Amino acid sequence: MTDYEATGADRVVMRDIRKRYGMVDALRGANLRVGAGEVVGLVGDNAAGKSTLMKVLAGTVVPDSGQIVFDGRQVSFATPRDARELGIEMVYQDLALCDDIDVAGNLFLGREPRRAGGLLLDIKRMHEDARRQLDALNIRIPLTDIPVGGLSGGQRQAVAIARAVTFGPKLLILDEPTAALAVAEVETVLELIKTVSSQGVSVILITHRLQDLFRVCDRLCVMYEGTLRADLDARTTSLERLVSEIVAHDQPEGARS
Amino acid sequence: MTVTSERVVTTRSARLTAHIGSHAQTIAIGAVLVLLLIFFSFSADRFASVGNLLNLIRQISPTLIVAVAMTFVISTAGIDLSVGSTVALSGSLLAIVLQQGWDPTLALIAILALGAAIGFVNGWFSSYQGIPAFIVTLAMLSILRGTALRATEGYSTPIDGELWIVQLGQGRIAGVPVPAILAVVIALLGWLVLTRTPFGRYVVGLGSNGESLRRTGVNTRRVGLTVYVLAGLAAALAGVLIATRLSSGSSNAGTGFELEVITAVVLGGTSLFGGRASMLGTIFGALTLGVIANGLVLLHVSPFYVQIVQGSILLLAIFANNKMWARFGAVRK
Repeated sequence: MTDYEATGADRVVMRDIRKRYGMVDALRGANLRVGAGEVVGLVGDNAAGKSTLMKVLAGTVVPDSGQIVFDGRQVSFATPRDARELGIEMVYQDLALCDDIDVAGNLFLGREPRRAGGLLLDIKRMHEDARRQLDALNIRIPLTDIPVGGLSGGQRQAVAIARAVTFGPKLLILDEPTAALAVAEVETVLELIKTVSSQGVSVILITHRLQDLFRVCDRLCVMYEGTLRADLDARTTSLERLVSEIVAHDQPEGARS
Repeated sequence: MTVTSERVVTTRSARLTAHIGSHAQTIAIGAVLVLLLIFFSFSADRFASVGNLLNLIRQISPTLIVAVAMTFVISTAGIDLSVGSTVALSGSLLAIVLQQGWDPTLALIAILALGAAIGFVNGWFSSYQGIPAFIVTLAMLSILRGTALRATEGYSTPIDGELWIVQLGQGRIAGVPVPAILAVVIALLGWLVLTRTPFGRYVVGLGSNGESLRRTGVNTRRVGLTVYVLAGLAAALAGVLIATRLSSGSSNAGTGFELEVITAVVLGGTSLFGGRASMLGTIFGALTLGVIANGLVLLHVSPFYVQIVQGSILLLAIFANNKMWARFGAVRK
């Protein structure tokens, strides 16, 4: 029931993705489809395979088997750079920031503006661009030249999201972006997601905060033990239905495998 | 996290605190250096002369050159214990090949290439194979020292004073010793590379959060390997400088050299756990060691005390610095 055929309107289609770590079957033939400009909530209990599936999509985990179709073209990623070149950006649960590098440096890590024929960092431009982009995203961080280790959890998350958003991705994957945030900062992130998707960027949102999902998502995909268990319309699904799918209470037949 | 904690870093004083916090140890070692300079200027007659200070920089130049490279290594949370043995092997082999009639320029290039190759092996094992750098370079320390002893059979090999290469160790340009010029140029280059280039940024990132850096698409293994190549290259150059200074290549050169270099780097505030690097601190640290050695000799103190004092300064500096970090605890975790 949750196997997809690729169509022209889809940004990405993942089919029968499998990944095994020793004795652990992290992914047992998972499928996922995301349309252009669509916000998809990816939910499931711990160890359901959400993060692994997203790491496959972001190129940091190479699957054992399976097919990924991006913008109608079959692709495979050996490194994160391969995925990034297609416009897939991921913000990781464990905050992929370097604590000892300043805000602007983290925003541009791996693709710093350069001068002198690429030999030197263009530090001045880096700080100017960082300021402009933080302001554009309504992120309140007054100084771009202090190490991110000195920022609050919310500010660090904002920097991590800003890093992904500001390079114009086609698909943005957010892994638990609101887990460590204060209430006001959650609102900012949810607004950010709406803004981004309205510009045609597809968003996959992994979160345990189910109330967030109904506010921003178009579809809710539920994973269970390494497979996609259900694909629900966020506008018509109730919270109770979603929870029962996540804990897999009803009819284990059919939906599994 | 409350909204108020968000304002922690919004004020100018907070910015100042953050900057002092991240540079606390550089400032501390700079202060120690100044105090030592003042102390020896008053207590040792000939200390504060231009001639002696140039001499001091010449004496410390091999340490400084390798410490600059070691700063990169330690910034990635690595370590290179093999630099002392590399000094011995490169100096010994330089003397041997010169004795066999090699062209000095060719010999110099070959020795530097050897140093880079040694660094490549260190880097390949530690960065690409994931073996702890401590073990890899400890093994290399033993292998290289043994190779140097085998090549020389334990004897020193003289270097002909007529060859131009001897000028590297003994020459002066406008009155300034060549090793001192080389050390200053390399230290400035090291500072530029560490703070102003993408590579320097990635070195710090690798030590700070290597997985994060890898996920941004940077080839972190190559960065990790390159720092060892730099260290090997610097150690070979230091070996050449020491051998040409003494007009002799000895397999016993550079004993304990790696520890002196690491002391200089750690004194300067570069964290052994990676991520936090200060090239200025390394320069201060190396100069501090040089000032202690030079000043104590001028005071006619037994040279055996030099290591005792250097070690004590290291311990005190780290101790004081930990206390300072505690004060800036909001910034450094």
